[in-house]
Parts: sequence; structure tokens; C-alpha cells
Amino acid sequence: MTARWVAVAVSTAVQRVSGDRGGMLVTLGFYVAVVGTLAALWAAAAEASGGSVAGYDAAALAWYIVASEAATVALNVRMIEGIGDDIGSGAIAVELLRPAPVLGLRMATEVGRALPRLAVCVAGGAVLGVATVGPPPSAAGALLAVPALVLAIACNIAAQHAFAGLAFWIRDATSAWYLYQKLVFIAGGMLIPVEVFPAALQAVVKALPFIAMSYVPARLLSGAVEPQLLVLQAFWLVVLCALAVAVFSAGQRRLQVVGG
Amino acid sequence: MAVIEADALTKTFPLRGRRQACPVEAVRGISFSVERGERIAYIGPNGAGKSTSIKMLTGILHPSGGTATVLDLVPWRSRRALAARIGTLFGQRSQLWFELPPRRGFRLLGAIYGLPDDVARRRVDELGALLDAADLFDVPVRNLSLGQRMRCELAATLLHSPQVLFLDEPTIGLDLLAKQRFRDLVVRVNADQGATIFMTSHDVADIEQVARRVIVINHGVLIYDDEVSAMRRTLLATKLIEVAFERPPGQVCLAGVQVTESSTTGMKLVVDTTMRSIRDVLDTLLDRYPVADISVVDPPLEQVISAIYAAPRA
Repeated sequence: MTARWVAVAVSTAVQRVSGDRGGMLVTLGFYVAVVGTLAALWAAAAEASGGSVAGYDAAALAWYIVASEAATVALNVRMIEGIGDDIGSGAIAVELLRPAPVLGLRMATEVGRALPRLAVCVAGGAVLGVATVGPPPSAAGALLAVPALVLAIACNIAAQHAFAGLAFWIRDATSAWYLYQKLVFIAGGMLIPVEVFPAALQAVVKALPFIAMSYVPARLLSGAVEPQLLVLQAFWLVVLCALAVAVFSAGQRRLQVVGG
Repeated sequence: MAVIEADALTKTFPLRGRRQACPVEAVRGISFSVERGERIAYIGPNGAGKSTSIKMLTGILHPSGGTATVLDLVPWRSRRALAARIGTLFGQRSQLWFELPPRRGFRLLGAIYGLPDDVARRRVDELGALLDAADLFDVPVRNLSLGQRMRCELAATLLHSPQVLFLDEPTIGLDLLAKQRFRDLVVRVNADQGATIFMTSHDVADIEQVARRVIVINHGVLIYDDEVSAMRRTLLATKLIEVAFERPPGQVCLAGVQVTESSTTGMKLVVDTTMRSIRDVLDTLLDRYPVADISVVDPPLEQVISAIYAAPRA
């Protein structure tokens, strides 16, 4: 029964987003502009550094950005704020009146919303990448990047729900959103490959879950054939889901005792 | 057979962010029982404790004291099991998806409620006919008027054939015709499907046209529980008399009677029945004045409810 409503929730959300062609075009336009700009910046940096940066040449950096941005741009921008608003306004209480877990339904819906955008971004990024720097450096790496992108958005969605659950205790989750966004940008390797960081910082960043949300698919699409990174993502997905479940369960208990 | 039973149900909220603040007693020891198939209006002024009561009865909130059962389940202990057997409709919150036609939303709700696809499809067809809304089910929700959307919301609420319907201000924002239609549908659902109706509303017409029984709470305390028809005569010791005269009657002055409107051809009078019987007033009017026509009516329900709400805190 659970698998069925999860599948229907995902497919319903896919249909919602796919029907919004204007929104999809805006997402694609924004994505192409960001990828084009960052790829050009990294190409200039690679050229200035003698052809590569931290082991990535210009082509690898371009494909890195194609994946790292796709994994982020595909997500609902205001997810944390939206969840926070729903908790603060009491809307989430109404969701408790269904015989399905609130968190599971919300996460399945967000995955469904992200998938069409991810497909559009990856397609746009692939065209842009092939047109500017040629095919991805490794076909095997590119193949591994596909499930890695899906796991990346799943990890990100689980983490955002865990962060957003703070709204059960604090009035405004916006601050949580800003903090989270910056962590994904920097510690997730979305803007800068993790290998560019100093060794000590790299060790810290690689021990955090944020690399599962952007760095892993980017690393794979840039040519690294490291299937163990998928295992790492799966590990973080389990941990982040458990964290989100714990936060929402505690939050719901609080809601049920002290009200919305 | 009782489907809802509340026994000394109490909810106290801590007041957040203030030192030594007194907790807020939202619901104070409410007890009542609702039989299968009843249509209940659960009313009270803003802040009376209605929503808090409904949240406890649906399992969203844990009470601070007392207990309750709905369909023999303790709501806050069996929230999900209960959710599968009750329907909830909140006038200010949608359970449909704005970008999609209701039929797509019903598919997801059907999956959540564990209805097989063919059963859900048949049920949607039934509800389309019952609510005269089949032609709306394929229109994106954002393109529906509020009245049309509320019919679809009611269909979503009824999809899993709930035994009890909790309706929280379901007609808020609807125009007169849409309200009337919605009320008729709720009554029809009660008659055809046997669902018990437990409804909050600030609209007196909702109470008069949907409910048979009214429970009034104020300041968290149950202050009235009886048939709607009994409400006027029980709670207001006044009657209204409308008199038409054959010719100008001169000054009408009767003890215990207040003239509220007067013209050369008629008057409206309010009789305080604790001071003077209605029969005595009628006899006096007929004896002393050139009465052409006379009628006695109960005061409007709105006036009755206003009087209840205005009563001082217990």
C-alpha cells in the first residue's frame, strides 16, 4: 500500500510540474545561464593555472558544473520556507488527517516535482556541454552520474525537510534556509570542486552529507569512475531520512501537545 | 449508537515566550455524545474552543484532560486508523492541487486511503453524480470558481466513504447560491450515505438548514446542547408580534411590550414573556385596537445566538 501511494504521489507531482511549461522554460533558461557563466569562469581559471585546476581540465570543469547545478536547480527553490510556512500556519495539521505519514507524502511529492526539472536541466546541460567542450570525459562516469543525480536530489530533499522541521520550534525558518543554502553551495561543492579546498577543509567537507547533494554527481560526470560514491550517497540518504523522520516525529508530538 | 463521545475533554495551552504567564484554557471539560447519522452544528464565537475541540476529536491535538472516542477509537492514540474512517473539510484549506484537475487529486487521495483503482474510479463517478460535479472533475482546480471548488473538495472528503464528516466553516467565502447548494449537498450526503455531520460555522443559515442539533461552546465551556428548533423558544424569553391596523391605533402602550417599529398601518412589538404572557398581549391588542391582521414569530436565530455569545463568562 505504501509503495502505491508513494508512486502515485511522485507521478502526480511529475504531472503538476510537467504541465507548467512556462515554469520549466524559466528553470531551463536560468540553468543554462548559470552553467554557461560558471563554465566560462572555470575555463578561464584552468587556462590561467596552466590547463587544469585541482586535477580538473576545462572540459571536466564544464561537465562538473553541468551536474552540480542540475542537482540544485531542479529542486523547489522555496522548499524550506514553504514547509516552515505550512508548519507555522497550521496547514500541516490538516495533513495529519490522512492515513499516510506527512513527511513521506511531502518528500515523495518533492521528488516528483524535481524529476521533470532535473530531466530538462540535464538535457539542456548535455546540449550545452557537447556544443562547447565535447562529450563527457568518461562514458562510465556519465552513466554513474544519472543515478547519482537522482540520489543527490533525494538527499537534498531529506536534508531540507530535516532543516525545515525546525519550524516546529522556531517561528521563522527563513534563517534556516539561508544557512542551509550556503552550506550546499560551498560544502556541497556546487560552485567549487571540493578538491580545490585546502586539505584540512577537504577532509571536513568530505565527512559532511552536503557532498552527496551536488559534488558526487558532478565528480562522476566530470570523468571520475568511482561507483563507491553512490554507496556514500545511499548511506547519507538513509541518515538524512532518519534525521528528517526524527525531527518531524518530535515536531508533530510537540504540535499535538502544545498546538500549532 | 454513539459515534462521537467526549467526556470532560480539556485542553490547556502554555503561553509561549512569557515568564510566569498563565496557561490558556482553550477547552474546559466539555462532554457530549453524538449518535450515528446526526447532523450537528458545533458553534461558538471566535476563540470559543471549536477548532481546538475538532483537533482533539480528529487526533491532531492531545487533550490535557478528559477523554473522547470517535468511532470507538481514541483519536490521538489512533490518528491514522481514524483518518481512514472520517472525512474532514476545512473551508479555508484545500486538499486538492491547484495545477491539476480534481480527478488527478482523487487518484492520489484514493491511493493514500488504500482504495483499489477500480473502486476509486467507481466512487468518483458516484460522487460526480451525487454532487452534480462530474463535469468539474477534469478542469484544473485553478480554473474553478470557489463554489465549484468546494463541491470538488467535498467529493475529495467523501472519496473513502467516511462515517463521520468534520466540516470546519465549509461555506466561508461562498456566495448565497453556492452556500445554498453546498448545504443541500451536505444534507443529501447525510441522507444518502448515512454519514454523521459535525460542522462548525458562523453562518446562521448553515445551522438552520443543515443541522438538527446545535452544541454551543463559549470560553471553552459547553453552554447549550439541544435541537435547533428548540433553541429559540428555550433561550430567548421574547416573541415578536407583527400587527396590521385597519386605521391608526393611536399610542400603543402595554407593560412588558416594546414597540420596535411603528407606522399608521402597522407595528412590530417585542414581548418579554417573563413579564407578560403572549396570550395576554394578543387578547389586549385585539380588545383595544382596530387589528386587521396579527402574527407571532420567534426571534431570528441570529439574535438567539448573539444573546448566547454575549452571556458573561462562567
